[in-house]
Amino acid sequence: MKAAVKPGVWKKLTNQLDLQSMVWPGIIFVAIFSYIPMYGVVMAFQQYDIFNGILESPWVGFMHFRMFFEAPEFWNVMRNTIVISLLKLVITFPAPILLALMLNEVGSMGFKRLVQTVSYLPYFLSWVIVSGFVFSLLSVDNGTVNFVLERLNLTHEPVNFLAVPEYFWSILVSVNVWKEIGFGSIVYLAAIAGVDPAMYEAASIDGASRFKQIFTITLPSISPVIIIFMILAIGNLLSAGFEDILLLATNPILRPYSDVIDTYVYRVGILNARFSYATAVGLFKAVISVILLVTANKIARRADVSLW
Amino acid sequence: MRNRLKGVSLVTVTLLLLLTACSGGGNSGAAQNSGGENSNTAAAADDGTGIKPVAFSFYGNYDWLTTAPWGENEATRWIQANRKVTVEPIQSGGASAEKLNTMIVSGDLPDVIFTDRGSTVERLVQAGRLVALDDYYEKYPNFKKYVKESTLNLLRSEDGKIYQIPNWYTSGQFGNGGWMVNKDIYNALGRPALETFDDLYQYLLQVRDKYPDVVPLEVGEKGAGLDIMYGGFRENATSKFISLMGYPEGDKLLPIYDDPSYEEMMLYINKLFRERLITQDALQQTQDAVKEKVNTGRVAVMVESNITTYGAEGHRALTANNPDSGYEIIWPVHKAGLDKNKVFVSGFETLGWNVNVITTRAEDPEAIFAYFDWITGPEGQKVLFFGPKGLYWDEEDADGAPVPNEKYKTTPANERTETMRKFEDFNWAGNTTFIDTAKMSLEASLSANQKSWETVAQSTVTWKTALDITEFVNTDPVPETETGIIAQNIQDIHTLAFAQMVQAKSDEEVLSALETARKNANKAGLDKLLAFKTEKWQENVQKINATK
Repeated sequence: MKAAVKPGVWKKLTNQLDLQSMVWPGIIFVAIFSYIPMYGVVMAFQQYDIFNGILESPWVGFMHFRMFFEAPEFWNVMRNTIVISLLKLVITFPAPILLALMLNEVGSMGFKRLVQTVSYLPYFLSWVIVSGFVFSLLSVDNGTVNFVLERLNLTHEPVNFLAVPEYFWSILVSVNVWKEIGFGSIVYLAAIAGVDPAMYEAASIDGASRFKQIFTITLPSISPVIIIFMILAIGNLLSAGFEDILLLATNPILRPYSDVIDTYVYRVGILNARFSYATAVGLFKAVISVILLVTANKIARRADVSLW
Repeated sequence: MRNRLKGVSLVTVTLLLLLTACSGGGNSGAAQNSGGENSNTAAAADDGTGIKPVAFSFYGNYDWLTTAPWGENEATRWIQANRKVTVEPIQSGGASAEKLNTMIVSGDLPDVIFTDRGSTVERLVQAGRLVALDDYYEKYPNFKKYVKESTLNLLRSEDGKIYQIPNWYTSGQFGNGGWMVNKDIYNALGRPALETFDDLYQYLLQVRDKYPDVVPLEVGEKGAGLDIMYGGFRENATSKFISLMGYPEGDKLLPIYDDPSYEEMMLYINKLFRERLITQDALQQTQDAVKEKVNTGRVAVMVESNITTYGAEGHRALTANNPDSGYEIIWPVHKAGLDKNKVFVSGFETLGWNVNVITTRAEDPEAIFAYFDWITGPEGQKVLFFGPKGLYWDEEDADGAPVPNEKYKTTPANERTETMRKFEDFNWAGNTTFIDTAKMSLEASLSANQKSWETVAQSTVTWKTALDITEFVNTDPVPETETGIIAQNIQDIHTLAFAQMVQAKSDEEVLSALETARKNANKAGLDKLLAFKTEKWQENVQKINATK
């Protein structure tokens, strides 16, 4: 039985060589840069010493995991990670869909292109530059926003936006929306472009309003794309962001609201060369993420859409 | 074949080492042996350093540091041509810790690492990656001459050997922190006394009311200047005590949170912040934002740990339009009743800023050391500070200080400073005492308006208000040890508490944040940390006293 299958599979493989040649570089890339380095996670169970390397560092079991769970910051860091992620999921995730739907309704091609380009540009700016913008907009001395507020007599003295812990989440999420919305909407616009125009024609003959068309045709047609991105976003729930938070939350008073897993790992693990600790926290995060991803995928399968 | 070649080259290297060892030993012998060779480089023979051609790689372990290519400016070009030394810089690319770790893991260390004293160096020592320099210190003249014995002892690692070459070590007082005022505003308000914290408070109130667009008190990038007010609340103290998390009492360190002066300082800072007398962006602002305010004159008073740099730049910018404008350095503001001569702003360590270490990867560590010894000697310091002979100076005065020539006097101060700053980037074994003496005598020969703001500020105030805190060096635990983890936790507690105290809405809030910090820090093991630091500190004291 086996002997009969084997040559068949082999033949199939060799016959497709031209097609496979397009996939192989990607597979090799992933293998070299994602799978091979994975052996490094054993560091999480060692007291890793960079001079001795993985082979000679002593084993310590789950010590680093225990240290993380018992760290005074643990619950605070987890709370911030989850809250910021959920905020991003609820606000940053649907925003580009909304923009794409609105752009799709715009009749003037020129205006549509303009909006697309303008909203797309911030995506290419690095967080360092964006944080610079935010600081000059929101600072007290010379800040544009405070200047305008005062001129309009809306406030009698400048607001210290970047030094009030309670404001931080809103600022973070708004800036994220501004930066990412254009890029995200392109994917959805492409999906919308793929919808069969005949359906819209039929709907308008039946007397469906533009609004109704969005809900009955556009959204259901692009829902597979939305669900796929949703699954990925849920898998990333423990990655609340790193650069954006690190650069925007420079005032330490924000820490009770801004410290997330990644910034914590960076500050406590990487900067102090506590590599085993950083790896342990990273591994913990990865395990949770895989669980979330698989669960989300499973749920999505009921709607006949899934990653695998 | 290959092995044989290796063997031959090894023998040659050993022979060369032996030869240099002989020539360096006796001065007269050296002069005879290498007289012919050195006849055209008389200065080197004068120095007696036995410097010889060498090429090595150099890594500056700082995020912000980019070492310019060798031979691109007058000074390094001169060194390459006349002293035959070539350096290949290795860049950190803005991520120094990662870069160094990568080099360690891949076994590809540079020949020389330029870094802070402390855990980085000690980790390399413990792993046996550094070359012990004791014999070279014995053999070469300049470090022996300029570095105090007690300083060398403090550089010793736990095994008793010296692996580090100090940079900007000093034997005199040295510091750049302090207070300055905006001349225009100060004059317009009638130059009131600005000696005590009460004077300051009254003055800042006036500024706030009369100049709404001006920051009354600027405190630098991320509030760097706030801590250093501590020296004004307590005699013979600096903000080092805050970073130690303890203040010395007898031969022990007691928790900083129990220090009444600390509490008083936080209440005062909070009062100023609450009344909008300190910039409200204090804790989050970037350096660029601070410079922009200083350089446009929108700062009335400023306190900072590097006031000379901010002041010089701001002064240049303001005087460009109006020669009577600018900034003025003032004696540190302090609490009423304290002896103003016991008020300190900066702390300096006779060990200097940082160190160079030579790794075991270096093929000829002795030649590299010889070069560093040359740097720290008179010729090296002159070339790497004032530039090579013929640029800004042609001759020297009786003390060996360069005498400024026409070009020095006619080149615009900004351009000259910029050129000299580029040389200084390569001055890796800065000899503070030599440079400062030379700089002062050079400045003395200039007319008042040619003098640099920095030099005046340093000689009149900032050096005098710097306290010797050498006895507190190397008191930080290694991060991955138990004490290191405690230190990290306490650091986190303190950073947050400090921000909360600065921005508190009332005195009660300040005190309650202080109380919370005290409780949390005690829970995290502050007593253990202070016990560790006390022990290290007392070891230093013994080392210093042993050689006095």
